[in-house]
Amino acid sequence: MALRLLSRNRNKGIPVLGLIATIAGFLLLLDRSTLTESARISRSGGQAQLISVQPLSPMLGEMCQWLPASASGSLASALQQERQAARAAGESPTATRRAEVVARKPARMIRDPYAAYSSIAVDPVHDEVVLTDENLFQILVYDRLANTPPRARMTEPKRMLGGMHTKIEFQCGLYIDPTNGDIFAVNNDTVRTLVIFSRSQRGNVPPARELYTPRGTFGIAVHETTEEMYLTLQHDNAVSVFHKYAEKDDAPVRLLQGNRTMLADPHGIVLDTKNKEMFISNYGSHHLKQSTSQEDSREEKANWPNGVQLPGSGRHLPASITVYPLNASGDTPPLRVIQGPKTEMNWPTALAIDVERGELYVANDMGDSILVFSVSASGDVAPLRTLKGPKSLVKNPTGVFLDLKNDELWVANFGNHSATVYKRGASGDTPPLRVIRSGPLNEPSLGIGNPHPVAYDTKREEILVPN
Amino acid sequence: MHGIAYNEVHDEFYIPTPLSQAILTFRGAANGEEAPIRVIQGPLTQLDEPQRLAIDPVHNEIVIAQDRNVLVFRRDANGNEAPLRKLTGRDLRPYGAAVDTVRNLLVIPSESTGSGPDRGKFLIFDRTASGEAKPLRVIGGDKSMISRFSGPMAVYPPTGKIIAGMRGETGAELATDECFVGVWNITDNGDVPPHYTIGGPKGVLQMVRGVALNAKHKELIVTDKRLNAVLTFYFPEIF
Repeated sequence: MALRLLSRNRNKGIPVLGLIATIAGFLLLLDRSTLTESARISRSGGQAQLISVQPLSPMLGEMCQWLPASASGSLASALQQERQAARAAGESPTATRRAEVVARKPARMIRDPYAAYSSIAVDPVHDEVVLTDENLFQILVYDRLANTPPRARMTEPKRMLGGMHTKIEFQCGLYIDPTNGDIFAVNNDTVRTLVIFSRSQRGNVPPARELYTPRGTFGIAVHETTEEMYLTLQHDNAVSVFHKYAEKDDAPVRLLQGNRTMLADPHGIVLDTKNKEMFISNYGSHHLKQSTSQEDSREEKANWPNGVQLPGSGRHLPASITVYPLNASGDTPPLRVIQGPKTEMNWPTALAIDVERGELYVANDMGDSILVFSVSASGDVAPLRTLKGPKSLVKNPTGVFLDLKNDELWVANFGNHSATVYKRGASGDTPPLRVIRSGPLNEPSLGIGNPHPVAYDTKREEILVPN
Repeated sequence: MHGIAYNEVHDEFYIPTPLSQAILTFRGAANGEEAPIRVIQGPLTQLDEPQRLAIDPVHNEIVIAQDRNVLVFRRDANGNEAPLRKLTGRDLRPYGAAVDTVRNLLVIPSESTGSGPDRGKFLIFDRTASGEAKPLRVIGGDKSMISRFSGPMAVYPPTGKIIAGMRGETGAELATDECFVGVWNITDNGDVPPHYTIGGPKGVLQMVRGVALNAKHKELIVTDKRLNAVLTFYFPEIF
């Protein structure tokens, strides 16, 4: 590896001092394990002994020329080259050259051309299914009974919302108002605005209503009786509760946040209004908060989350479902926690609840599965049943919805451009009743979602893209 | 995740996780659900929402950019380990970090603090600067076109080029015609215009994020949040 680095540098006319520094660094960086291994061999061998003599193989190619004891002439020449290179690098390019560069088109682009479904909800009144697309930034509305034929490339939506005026970007949560079909769509951490559209809106139009939220909103749930809207906040390990019809700068009415809540990168949320409980899915990234001073306070709104981390308090916790009283606020500990290896949870994302049967559905993103637990489950418990397998087409599910009117379970599969429908209670490797696809069958999603940093792996000639 | 760095010498890559206040190190060939080979995390680390980082393979160090300071750890630090150095200061709002191993310099893109235009600047420090050390040079100002930083930046030590994405000054959340990737020299000082811009202003980029370099093929790799895409430009002028 070092030779490769040096070879590349030599070809590029790298300054000698840089080479020396690189070589010295590499020698200093010799692994402890390497040194330990050398020491072990030395101990086992005792004093050096002549074991055998073998002739060197004949030399092919040119041999490096020996340098004289004093290489000062060569070093001076190299330093001169270094200075020249530095001067050349510092010269300003001509205006023509700059114009040529600014107009240069990319040689390549990695981009998924198809919608990647992230969250899902059914409007049973109007017999429609609504999906958010986290790749092309759209809200797509389909007929509930749409079914993409296997040979078709995709199904066209009935209506769609998208474009700069909509303020839609990386949407991850969705709620359909059962009274009028309004679409509540949650933007994740690039846009601090919850957007609400009326059912009649389409195209590149401004939302009918906007609410300015804390950063990192993910899940949404609405209690229709109390007209309260719950939002999970990833960054702040919190749940903000707003009035359902809050807009613009309205403040939350309640905040659940604190070091005893066990909220750890919360994502999905669902309300059990029958038993008056709230369920939250947590990925497990956790840190403590420290009390804020006026200087550190990011917002002056009431019930606004504390965003100040306590340095060095971070932990990676196992994924969990935490359960709270429906009206929990402040630093309330959970009533129950579902957590542990038997749960099979691996990035539990969206949640749905079957109040009639007392079952909690979990979109288990990295497990490529839908897990179903009893609503009273606690501790390290196995799911009651699991929907998973190649025939099920469940792949990186990030959205799940129970259509109790039609007795159906819907899944948004971020990993394969599909939304799949099953009979409520489906388990194992059950094929879907219907499939809505946004792209060709078996065309995997690229999985790009808010690419931010990027690195180049020179050894494998690969681009590393965290999302 | 807002940072990643690949280390060719040790064939490993590093990722900061801000919500769990950790630095994860993975094998270069890591694939699937593979555990990190090292994790820096705990009270001694002083990690506080670490966002971006840089690797210095020559001096065997990881440089972490946080909200109000820069922490430097041993490359092979593991567990609850204190940083080797901490760079801080009233005007320091790091938005990233890069090390020039040839000139022994540390480049910190820093966002403005307090009142005035929401504008960034490059602070050039001695590589081993610590405490409230003053920068050796500052690149910034109207002509520099350095506005709001968009994501992780890069330095190419052999030519001393600084490469960074700019969001422009509109404050737009979604996209802006003002964004671009700019190239400055590490020897620049003061209000110096970029030597090159690519992808904008008014170009293909809509909301640039991070940059990476492929020296072998003389390419600049750019992520764009609004395009939700990774773009590669042929850009021999950097190399």
